[in-house]
Amino acid sequence: MFTFEELCQLIRVVSESRVGGVELERDGSRLRIDGVPMPPAVTGTPLLPPSVAAAPPLAFPALAPTVASPAPAAAPRSTSEAEEDDSSLTFVTSPIVGTFYRAPNPDAEPYVKVGDHVEKGQVLCIVEAMKLMNEIESDVSGTVAKIYPENGQPVEFGERLFAIRP
Amino acid sequence: MIQKVLIANRGEIALRIIAACRELGLSTVAVFSEADRDSQHVRMADEAVCIGPPFSKASYLNVTAVISAAEITGADAIHPGYGFLAENAAFAEVVEECGLTWVGPPPSAIRLMGDKATARRTVAQRGVPVLPGSATPLTSREEAVRLAYEVGFPVILKASAGGGGKGMRVAADERELRHCFDTARHEAERAFGVADVYLEKYLTAPRHIEIQVMADSFGRVIALGERECSIQRRHQKLIEEAPSPVVTEELRRQMCDAAAAAAEAVGYRSAGTVEFLYDDGKFYFMEMNTRIQVEHPVTEEVTGLDLVVEQLAVASGQPLSFRRRPKISGHAIEFRINAEDPVTFAPSPGQITELALPVGPGVRLETHIYAGYRVPPYYDSLVAKLIVRGRDRAEAITRSRRALSMFRVGGIKTSIPLHQRILQDPDFQEGRLSTRFMERFAPPAS
Repeated sequence: MFTFEELCQLIRVVSESRVGGVELERDGSRLRIDGVPMPPAVTGTPLLPPSVAAAPPLAFPALAPTVASPAPAAAPRSTSEAEEDDSSLTFVTSPIVGTFYRAPNPDAEPYVKVGDHVEKGQVLCIVEAMKLMNEIESDVSGTVAKIYPENGQPVEFGERLFAIRP
Repeated sequence: MIQKVLIANRGEIALRIIAACRELGLSTVAVFSEADRDSQHVRMADEAVCIGPPFSKASYLNVTAVISAAEITGADAIHPGYGFLAENAAFAEVVEECGLTWVGPPPSAIRLMGDKATARRTVAQRGVPVLPGSATPLTSREEAVRLAYEVGFPVILKASAGGGGKGMRVAADERELRHCFDTARHEAERAFGVADVYLEKYLTAPRHIEIQVMADSFGRVIALGERECSIQRRHQKLIEEAPSPVVTEELRRQMCDAAAAAAEAVGYRSAGTVEFLYDDGKFYFMEMNTRIQVEHPVTEEVTGLDLVVEQLAVASGQPLSFRRRPKISGHAIEFRINAEDPVTFAPSPGQITELALPVGPGVRLETHIYAGYRVPPYYDSLVAKLIVRGRDRAEAITRSRRALSMFRVGGIKTSIPLHQRILQDPDFQEGRLSTRFMERFAPPAS
């Protein structure tokens, strides 16, 4: 179990730092504290305040030495597919540059599959940027019509992630 | 050893860095905002990543987005260009903490030179001449008045954390100084978050002469000679040239020694520029810019060096390719072509409908524009740099007239006609320059 003091300390550390949150497990009890609010699904709020000039030095973990897959050059988006011409679809785009993950961890089931019904505000995927896991929520209720990136694929700002049929 | 360089910038400087990387066989990653999807740097780089919406705060200034773009592309170095994150010490630290190579000076040097009062004190201790004034931030209005009488009016108040002309106030007498002391502090606090101001003697019509320096990781610091940048408006340079019409070989040696001493004082590495004010045969340290500058091609043209290639080599841990100050050969002038009205200086973004580029001997062009390109309204107005070289200043001016007359940009207004008028000015032709030169073409900053 976590003591009250430990909890207070953790909350303070998370709120004063710029990490998205922490998840801890001890003696069978799990604790999760979310820090900076996650960006909304499509508006692209930066995680950090835009100017870090006056901010305290940021401590980020070192990047992994290798990156699994190279990013595609900014290819024009294909418009040949039928779904994309369908004006009834709503597209969920990536609010940040990062790596797309369909599940909360490698062993877990994907958050959603094509054909699933999703509610507005439901988590659809994770986009990881600088080791921060950013949960991307659906901004509409509807059915998942298409999932664009592959699991683990790099995504750009504004890149289409999901098509939802409201 | 660097393999893949992410360029955290846009426009002509992003292309300039891509050019240097290509010569060195390095792969390149461009980052871009949604407004720059059709930009040349996106097309020319090996890979490109959209990092955010048009406003630079959410894209080109967004540290997480830039680092994340490096991560997903496997870039191992970041070149910041100029502007945006180039002189942000915290960003440089994040880059290094992420295990990436920062193509620039040590973050500590950026921070030291970024605080203007600290920079002034640090270089003065190494014997670099500074204007008479306060060694530390002023604590009271009375101290400012006392000091002003000591150095003699007029005086200028400057923000410690400042730069680029913000937070400066000139006072001709005691009454004006008393009046503007609090205003200057407020303005400094608003613009930079720190209210500290310091005072210096104000020179009424100095020249702006700066020295390019290059330093490597082996303690070699070499000053490459001067650029005269007196033709400026609201502290924004318009024309730069090398060599300066007033700098003799003896003065050049003194200024280069002073600039190298300033760079050594902060443990400098990579490309940097030490800016001096020159008046009546004497020169005084103004500030050091800890980045590659817009006008670096002027120095390249008269020294034969490629400063961006040198920067990348230094970042890779190699020594500079030269051992001593190169000889200055010929004369080079750079004209900044801005998308702005040549008379009112109002910005003129929009689509370029027609483009004819100058050709012929002595012409070098650095630009990202093309016919059909839309100049976005979100960023600075520089659309091209025309650099013209001649055997001497007269030949460079003749070639400049010819080159500017061939340069046609349709659809937007540019500063080309303004440059043509400046070239006709007798004082410009004779090299009689000062930072007040532009007042005859436009009212001074209000």
